[in-house]
Amino acid sequence: MTTHIESTTQQETSSSRGFNWQLFLQDNITGSWYQAILVLALAIITANYAVGQYETYPVMTIIIVAAWLVGIVMVMIGEGRRHHTNFSRWLKENLLSSVSNILLTLLVGLLIASAFIGALQWGILNATFDPAATAPELQPEDGATWGVIVGARKLLATGVLGPEYSWRVWTALFFILGMWLLTYISSRPVLKDKLRVVRNVINGLWLLSPVILYIFLAGVANAPYNFTGALTGGAVLLAIYALLWWQKVIPFRWTGLIATVATWPVLYTIWWAIGNSETFTPINVDEWGGLLLTLIIASSVIVLSLPLGMVLALARQSDVFGIPAWIIWPAGIGATIWGFTSTPELLATSRNLVEQLLSFWPIMILAIAYLIHRMFKGNMVSGASTMFIELIRSVPLITLLFMGINMAPFFFSAGTSIAKPWPVIVGYTLFSSAYMAETIRGGLQAIPNGQYEASDALGFNTLQKMRFIILPQALRIVIPAIVGQFIGAFKSSSLVSIVGLFDFLGINRVISSNPQWLGLRVELYVFMGLVYFLGSFLMSSYSRRLEAQLGVGER
Amino acid sequence: MTQSPASPSAEPQTAPLWRTVLGYLFDVRVLGVLGQIGFIVVVVFGVKAIGVNFAENAQKLGESQFICRDGTFSYRCAYDFMESESGFDISDTMIDHTNTDPYWRSFAVGVLNTLKVGIFGVILTVFVGTFAGIARLSENWLISKLALWYVELMRNTPLLIQIFFIYFGVILTAPNLDEAIQPLGLPFFLSQRGLNIPSIQFTSSAAIWLAFLVLGIIQFQVLGVILSRREERTGQPSNRFSTGIIAFIIIAALGWFVSGAVSETQGLMVTKGSRIREVNDIENMMLQRTGLNHLDELDSLTEDEIKDFALQVCVLEDSASETNFTSQLRKMGIPYRVRRSDRPDQATERYADEKCDVFAATKSILAAERATLENASGHLIIPIKENPVVWSIPTREGLNMVGGSRMKPEFTALLLALVLFYGGTLAEIVRAGILSVSKGQSEAARALGLNEGQRLQLIVLPQALRVIIPPGIGVALSLAKDTSLGIAIGFPDMYAASYTIMNQSGRVLQMFVMIMLVYMLISLGFSVVLNWYNEKIKLVER
Repeated sequence: MTTHIESTTQQETSSSRGFNWQLFLQDNITGSWYQAILVLALAIITANYAVGQYETYPVMTIIIVAAWLVGIVMVMIGEGRRHHTNFSRWLKENLLSSVSNILLTLLVGLLIASAFIGALQWGILNATFDPAATAPELQPEDGATWGVIVGARKLLATGVLGPEYSWRVWTALFFILGMWLLTYISSRPVLKDKLRVVRNVINGLWLLSPVILYIFLAGVANAPYNFTGALTGGAVLLAIYALLWWQKVIPFRWTGLIATVATWPVLYTIWWAIGNSETFTPINVDEWGGLLLTLIIASSVIVLSLPLGMVLALARQSDVFGIPAWIIWPAGIGATIWGFTSTPELLATSRNLVEQLLSFWPIMILAIAYLIHRMFKGNMVSGASTMFIELIRSVPLITLLFMGINMAPFFFSAGTSIAKPWPVIVGYTLFSSAYMAETIRGGLQAIPNGQYEASDALGFNTLQKMRFIILPQALRIVIPAIVGQFIGAFKSSSLVSIVGLFDFLGINRVISSNPQWLGLRVELYVFMGLVYFLGSFLMSSYSRRLEAQLGVGER
Repeated sequence: MTQSPASPSAEPQTAPLWRTVLGYLFDVRVLGVLGQIGFIVVVVFGVKAIGVNFAENAQKLGESQFICRDGTFSYRCAYDFMESESGFDISDTMIDHTNTDPYWRSFAVGVLNTLKVGIFGVILTVFVGTFAGIARLSENWLISKLALWYVELMRNTPLLIQIFFIYFGVILTAPNLDEAIQPLGLPFFLSQRGLNIPSIQFTSSAAIWLAFLVLGIIQFQVLGVILSRREERTGQPSNRFSTGIIAFIIIAALGWFVSGAVSETQGLMVTKGSRIREVNDIENMMLQRTGLNHLDELDSLTEDEIKDFALQVCVLEDSASETNFTSQLRKMGIPYRVRRSDRPDQATERYADEKCDVFAATKSILAAERATLENASGHLIIPIKENPVVWSIPTREGLNMVGGSRMKPEFTALLLALVLFYGGTLAEIVRAGILSVSKGQSEAARALGLNEGQRLQLIVLPQALRVIIPPGIGVALSLAKDTSLGIAIGFPDMYAASYTIMNQSGRVLQMFVMIMLVYMLISLGFSVVLNWYNEKIKLVER
């Protein structure tokens, strides 16, 4: 201990005298043997790299090394005078704080500069920008041919969709943009209370917007009026109204009841009229492509997976009274015995060991009974949801997409042909909702038990408890994670290009195999990467704003 | 849950029986149970309905799915087709595969490729992610900003675009093999044909050495226990870790020499006339041949002269003998040229024609080959020392690369893209983990007098790991699943192999069942291993 005190006093005295080389060396190089080796290795690598860069880009290397030396000198002067300017203090703290940091700064600086120069040469200096001159013989040797992006803009935007439909795509786009704008304006604090009616209309339009967009982008077929369908729809809405009233979600009102029941027939009649007017003739959905298809898939998945994920999460967390053991076991054992009646015949005809083992399949029933009893305590709501989620999560997305496309024809009666986007959307939604369910479950688990107990004490039923107490808190907690999922869904929608859809990424195949733009892949990938980056960035910055508004992470 | 079936009341039961029964029936719990039983019944019948529908469709599609070899139709023949000839080639295989192999072998090749990408990917991602995560927290402004942009770029663009970009934009635009890029002079060669990297080759004596290594690990543990008991007894601190490591190194070195000396499988065949009786005689022979006094004087000769004088070595293609023997020749400074043959008899023929001075192979091959020579007694088989593990370093030889191992372009692109992408994801997790350890912990460690290494190793990392591991497991699982994206650039992983099999045989359902099973097994395997690790490092709570 005595030596320690001595050394500190020595340090104090020496620092008051001026710069101490010994201490400097000990701090930066000779402190321990691995530090010395590290600094030495770094110095050798940096020197080597600088010399190598000098041979390829002499001017750049000289400028950077000179700037680096000037920075060091500035910091040294500041140290010597014991007074730093703002700039030299910043340099000292952020770039030149120790010998290894000084070396790293030069190394990384050179690295960044050479990457920047390489990108500059490829992207701008050696590149051509003329949309007319993109043929293979006109493409520059070591530069980009950006003309392809302007030249192939139609393909990038809507794929091979016929030009006669472009007005519909534009209208749909303006519809959505207009809706966003209206929502934004009407939610301003100044107008919030004055525009109550307008806001209700906008909310209703949002609810209807999938149908409106479907009419624009997929079209309505000319078909005879379906009376039974219209009446059934009305009956379904009536049932929903009754359910909501029973669960005390809405109060009973005659006007509300009539409006609800009439909604379906009225909307169906409008739909039928649109189909008869031949303005919105059906589009072959397989022709969707480019950014349009990407946006359709991504937004459908985002919109559908949130409620589905919520249901799955609530089901997995549910604690309903399970099937008691005295039902599970007799039923399971009975089914097993019934199953074993087929075993002797199977055994007699089996050809190898595997088939012999498989003839004892009824054991599986026992195993399932055991699983239901022990793991889920007979609770089939939680059991089925858990099994679904875990099954989906253990396979890659691309498997589900392929399965959707390749296996869908098997499950329908023969002869029906299904356009590719639909099974893809279904498979992708199932996949996304399983992940969404896990995210939301995280939020549900973060709610303290007291909240559940308090709402029980207030006499809320399950639906009210979830709607007013649990979900608002749980969802608020997991907003960042949910938006992360949305971004993931947007990005991963590019996977549909593997299963043969020409989405924003898949359209690349069409463009780069066109003789006009032959082989122009990398330019398109850079452009597409930028678009995806922009989309993800917008979503995440919106999420940050939402978090701030709702006060996530605050109490 | 809200109401109990029979509320205990003070009054005697006056309600009639039917009321009690109805009360039981309309209890929420009973209704719930009935609903759940109904659900199971619906699921069972639904699956049955789908199955019947599927079977009908399958029959309409030509009954091709379940045809036995004798032409009859039976569901138990669903996987019989796996025995028939695949008829396609796979470019990147770990086990031998030709187009006459059965489908199941093609499938196995795919599974092995998936595992290869998954395992290497996870290992490399751990390094890249940790490195980038620490770089994000670096006090060097340039490095932390660079890491930030790396992470943002990776997280905000789709993985598929990155794979395409690396494959088409980086690997396929790289120069030809003869102008391969060699970063920093290291023996790594990036070219259009992929990445050539140094590799290690195990010779037959490696087993003995590995046994020694296991012994070393055991003694490390035992020594640790003994020393810690002594520490407790005497109160004297002892450097358990360093002592164990040093003892381990000693045992490993001992094993190296022992296994080199004990194993006698490798041999050289030479003619009696060459007067080589042991490997060191080769040096004298070379001196005689060149007329020099010492091998160091080789520099004075021109390259063509050296080529003429070089020792001609016959070996078999891809044999461990080549790497073993040539590494010894390199150590002795003897110039050599290697002639590779596909089959032993071709090599023997060359040797008999005196195209080469020595024939290096395993002793058993040499003995068999010597028997086929005309003048068997005129040839000697001399033993050569065999190191358990030999470095194999890629070198340019004309238009080809020899030695090391080559990563195919598709594999390189897929591995690189996966590692970079998930490295970015892991970096954020690592950063969050390190930040989650409160500053007070570090200050307390410094106050206790721990040095920086001890502080990281004993205080910060164990606490950070607890936060890092659970989401880290998720990253590993996602990576394992995303190896399926290799199909986009033609990497023959399990998915691509299955897809080809599906297209050729038309067995869609069977292949999907296989794919799902294997992915589930892989996911399960990864999560079992990683969860075991998680349990191990988890905070033990009271």
